[in-house]
Amino acid sequence: MNAAAPYLPTPMRIRHAVRELPGVFTFRFDVPGGFAFRPGQFNMLYVHGVGEVPISISGDPTIPGELVHTVRAVGTVTRAMEPLEAGGMLGIRGPYGSAWPIEEMRGRDVVFVAGGLGLAPLRPAILGVLAQREHYGAVTLLYGARSPTELLFHHDLTRWRGRFDLRVEAIVDRAGRDWRGPVGVVTKLVSDAAIDPEDAVLLCGPEAMMRFVVGELRRREIPDSSIWVSLERSMKCGVGLCGHCQIGSTFVCKDGPVYRFDRVAPLFFTREL
Amino acid sequence: MNDLEQLLRTHPFCRGLAEEHLATLVGCTTNLRFRSGEYLMREGQSEDRLYLLRQGRVGLELRQAGGESVCLETLAGGDVLGVSLLTPHAAHLDCRAQETVLALGIDNGCLIQKMNADPRLGYAISMRLLENTYQRLSRHRLQSLDVYR
Repeated sequence: MNAAAPYLPTPMRIRHAVRELPGVFTFRFDVPGGFAFRPGQFNMLYVHGVGEVPISISGDPTIPGELVHTVRAVGTVTRAMEPLEAGGMLGIRGPYGSAWPIEEMRGRDVVFVAGGLGLAPLRPAILGVLAQREHYGAVTLLYGARSPTELLFHHDLTRWRGRFDLRVEAIVDRAGRDWRGPVGVVTKLVSDAAIDPEDAVLLCGPEAMMRFVVGELRRREIPDSSIWVSLERSMKCGVGLCGHCQIGSTFVCKDGPVYRFDRVAPLFFTREL
Repeated sequence: MNDLEQLLRTHPFCRGLAEEHLATLVGCTTNLRFRSGEYLMREGQSEDRLYLLRQGRVGLELRQAGGESVCLETLAGGDVLGVSLLTPHAAHLDCRAQETVLALGIDNGCLIQKMNADPRLGYAISMRLLENTYQRLSRHRLQSLDVYR
């Protein structure tokens, strides 16, 4: 980030564009000088003449020369991004926000709980943990998606399933008979998983899904202080000045998006926020 | 202690159940095995057993027009199938083993008779069924929100 001009994006060229799912795409940018970030942080992506949106970084933190963003086309700006291919340009400023507690949870068992596109902000954390696998206990990924064809990062899931040091469980809301895995919601995986109060649980997905998962974790007597969530709010400036993303006394762009749950639990269940 | 009693004791549904109640349940329980593709229940048939699943996955399926089935949820080892025991109805879904399934089948008629004879057993079983039903309702609510759309 350019501290002197915090709103000035840096033009970056797309090296590789992948259509992950209908309406979901991944851009890889070459960053010859490196792009240091911490898993969980986001960038503001600017489409020239259209607008700017906050997008989580979904790349590997151990590959500093590459920046990766996975985007769902849902609004004016992201729809304008969707047709871009390799060679296209975007303006990028960041990284912003807080990060998953990769260092803090060393020595503990780690459970990642992702729903839908929520796997994208968790991907750097998963890759970061796997890069230093010996520093963690058992590592589990519980992932819920809408249907078997809407599982994100299919290639990663297949690769991760092949590892002996990572347990991967995927569940889908609906499936035909050709799907051999479990059907239902991700809270079912949480209720069936071996999770202890000492484990670190990293949670990302639609807010309704996260509320149900937190309810299940509390039922399992997992303390709020062992849970981290990534919140999503309308972020504009990215540096805690404009107030668009304010909930209660916190600015999601600056103090979040990753929070230890005990610090935002009252806000999480306040209807007006 | 016989094998059935041991199997009942280790199933999550029976966790915390009094010793005498476990012994009572044994008389209503059969150890069952279903091959992949076999049905534990069919839509429209009466639910005459409460299944405590020990191992293997069961799909709760709804047949659509044209005969195509949609799987609404899967249950597996540790789960309970047939929770409408207290309000007997015909099964409204097909319950099909997706792999080899091991289960304890508790005869509903026998169980209700024993629950009526011993209200403490009746309360203990009813509370477990209620908890199970609430959990399933909660999952269904989240599912119906279609949050990943």
